[in-house]
Amino acid sequence: MSSSDLTTAEETVEPATTDRLDAVMRRGLEWLEAAVDRVNPIMVKETRQALKSRQFVLTFFLVLIACWITSFAVVAIVGPEVYYVAEGPTMLSFYFGILAFPLMLIVPYTAFRSLAVEQEDNTYELLSISALSTRQIITGKLGSAVVQMLVYLSAVSPCIAFTFLLRGVDTLTVALLLFYFMLTSLGLSMMALLAGTAARARYAQVILSVVLVLIFAYFLAGAIASSTMFILESYRFIRDPWFWIVNLAFLTAYATTFALVHSAAAAHIAFNSENRSSPMRWTMLVQQACFLGWVTVMLMAEGLRIFGDAAMFTLTVSAAYWYAMGAVLTSEWPYLSRRVQRSLPKSTLGEVFLTWLNPGPGTGYMFCIANFSFVAILAWALMFAMATSSGTTTSFFTEQFYVVVCWSYLVIFLGAGKLLIGLARRFIYVSLTAGVLLHVLLMLTAIGLPQILDYLAHPQQFRVEYSLLHISNPFWTLSLLANQSPSGFGATNPITLATLLIATALVVVLLNIRATWGEIQHQRQALPTRVAEEEAELHPTPESKPQSPWES
Amino acid sequence: MIKPRHPLIELRRLHRYFGTTRAVQDMSFEVYSGEVFGYIGPNGAGKTTSMRILATLDEPTAGDAFVDGFSVIDDPDRVRRRLGFMPDYFGTYQNVNVREYLDFFARAYGLRGHERKQAIGSVMEFTMLDKLAKKPIDGLSKGMKQRLCLGRTMIHDPAVLILDEPAAGLDPRARIELREMISQLATMGKAVLISSHILTELAEICDKVAIIETGRLLAVGTVDEISETSETSSHVRLRLLGNEQPMVDWFAKRNDISNVSVNVGLITLTHEGGQEAQALLLREVIEAGFQVVEFASKQKSLEDVFLHVTEGKIQ
Ligand SMILES: Nc1ncnc2c1ncn2[C@@H]1O[C@H](COP(=O)(O)OP(=O)(O)OP(=O)(O)O)[C@@H](O)[C@H]1O
Ligand SMILES: [Mg+2]
Repeated sequence: MSSSDLTTAEETVEPATTDRLDAVMRRGLEWLEAAVDRVNPIMVKETRQALKSRQFVLTFFLVLIACWITSFAVVAIVGPEVYYVAEGPTMLSFYFGILAFPLMLIVPYTAFRSLAVEQEDNTYELLSISALSTRQIITGKLGSAVVQMLVYLSAVSPCIAFTFLLRGVDTLTVALLLFYFMLTSLGLSMMALLAGTAARARYAQVILSVVLVLIFAYFLAGAIASSTMFILESYRFIRDPWFWIVNLAFLTAYATTFALVHSAAAAHIAFNSENRSSPMRWTMLVQQACFLGWVTVMLMAEGLRIFGDAAMFTLTVSAAYWYAMGAVLTSEWPYLSRRVQRSLPKSTLGEVFLTWLNPGPGTGYMFCIANFSFVAILAWALMFAMATSSGTTTSFFTEQFYVVVCWSYLVIFLGAGKLLIGLARRFIYVSLTAGVLLHVLLMLTAIGLPQILDYLAHPQQFRVEYSLLHISNPFWTLSLLANQSPSGFGATNPITLATLLIATALVVVLLNIRATWGEIQHQRQALPTRVAEEEAELHPTPESKPQSPWES
Repeated sequence: MIKPRHPLIELRRLHRYFGTTRAVQDMSFEVYSGEVFGYIGPNGAGKTTSMRILATLDEPTAGDAFVDGFSVIDDPDRVRRRLGFMPDYFGTYQNVNVREYLDFFARAYGLRGHERKQAIGSVMEFTMLDKLAKKPIDGLSKGMKQRLCLGRTMIHDPAVLILDEPAAGLDPRARIELREMISQLATMGKAVLISSHILTELAEICDKVAIIETGRLLAVGTVDEISETSETSSHVRLRLLGNEQPMVDWFAKRNDISNVSVNVGLITLTHEGGQEAQALLLREVIEAGFQVVEFASKQKSLEDVFLHVTEGKIQ
């Protein structure tokens, strides 16, 4: 620049600083671009779309206007005293009520629709054959839900900040509420996405959207009610350490369930030869570990006194959990794709422990049974510990019954359902969903049939008495045992009952072992040469890796 | 051009049934790098079905297909990275312009930073979409959409391109441009599989064509090879001075001639044999003393070849 000769000392500084500023700006922009590069592509695209979408902009302004109207209305009604009377909580609950609407209803519903729209506009196939993994697709959709949440939040946040000027509002309460609102919205969106991946047909989409809206409305009402309650009462909860422990326990349950649903949604849209089951089974293991961990915390805090109840609680929750998971796992397709066979465990150690994580109904059955047996043994040990320490064995006796009967029921129902599905598959195609429905049908029959028979036998009798006929009704039998009321069994001898159940359970296991045997006979298959070639190209092997005992 | 050890596209005894409909039956062929392979057949022949299997959107009932040596059943993820599929529909997004559309797919194929910008730039230039960069894709015309669709297909520079009826809905100029683009892609060493109802459309640019009908391969080879094998007969038109009847009788005695008919002095017939045989026929007719004033033989067009090879059955 020739003019620089003429400039004063003061001015010469300027270009240098602007240069530096420029450089900083440029580096900042580069950094920003690099950061956006790492963001999920779907999120980037959908954020761009949302900003141009009329529906989104309209909702945003509606929320904004609603907030302003509320603020002015309250200020107008209360008048200048607004700074002296504690109107903060009232206004805060209004704002959270307004925020709940987009967060509980619009964001999750948009997530559900976004998958359906991809299918209607023929973009879904284009997306599915891109290099994005199914997990990335789900995460991207969730990511754009989060972006929308944040935008709606930003519309309400000035008003929420305004309530701080008023009395009776503390930061912790607001932060907690906001956190749980976001969490609920995210959870609902995840659920909506799972539903979206599961229902491809138009009629299923319509039915599901109605069901989902009802669920969302329920959560909307719940969110409004509980936030109002919490704003008024939070001072009591926040000081209680148990409040925080329960929160943490809830968060672990939330996180693990979220991971499970995420895997399930990704599995729904994955290609057929992909291993869709093992990641979910690992997540189930983690979830069970977390559950047992929290039970342990509770036991340590409360001591021996609650061992018996804790054991019953753990066992019952676990039984329900493994029955639900088992209904899904035992409905899996019994053939291993060549792709899955490439990753089967090789070593004996691996075969013994990891085979049960492979896809397939047989391994799924064994996986559930093994996990539940582990919990049952733990529960029994707890009861035993309590009985020996207190010296009273009367309750221990019926509690033991509970463990054994509960275990037998799980083994029988999952096993029989699995055999039924196997039988049906000889004649027709039974999908995973149909398999789960068969399980439900079996359970309903087991409960309903004895009732009907009983009614037919004694039509004049109004109240049905328990008899051995009702042995197939797990809920009735278990609740009688749990209440420790042997008298409720009427003429039935609990020992006969338990013996019958155990015998049936063993038979069912044996029958299933026969069917499972074929499934676990698969040997690991070598990688196709072309795949091995590419693997070698992409990831040249480091010279010598320490061999893990699970491999080799 | 050096051919790689393996074909870039390979169908191995591919079958696909939909219930009782046999959309694809026992198809096998190979396409190598730098080749344009035309895929021709009437409606319902199974073109789209087999292309969707190659693009990992569907699975074969039996058999397998390979892209660059990777099975579409076992390794669809690896297939997807080296394959561009242009379906016969256009997938549209609301509130997205041309540039953003390409940008999204570039990101979806894992292109980052400078690499991505370069890819988008070169694709827009190649498909001549530069001027439309800011146009919302909802407002594109059919031909523009086809271009954008092709652009999206090649955004990640795939080695294999599968184009399902890319010329449908294009004006004549755009068709010519499309043909140029495809030839260019082949010289870049890509394997291109392209489908059409019309053999003529593909004849110029295809190294090989396959004619299929009701899911079966009827003929595979270069266009010349296929037209030679089917070019065994041609239509001949004759006009004589004087009465046609002796001529008709004379033709009746020959067994290489059929379908003789007379219409207001014009004799038309079907002659079995190539061009040399036709020249010989004309000489014989003249030597036999007939006064020929007009002799014309209509070469079979590619349309005729197509009609000859296929039977017009629709499933
Ligand atoms: N999803 C499906 N369900 C049932 N039948 C199908 C399905 N897709 C294709 N078909 C059948 O498979 C056969 C081949 O169809 P395909 O779409 O491959 O033909 P095409 O060669 O692409 O025809 P066109 O030139 O009309 O596009 C047809 O008979 C069709 O009805
Ligand atoms: Mg087609």
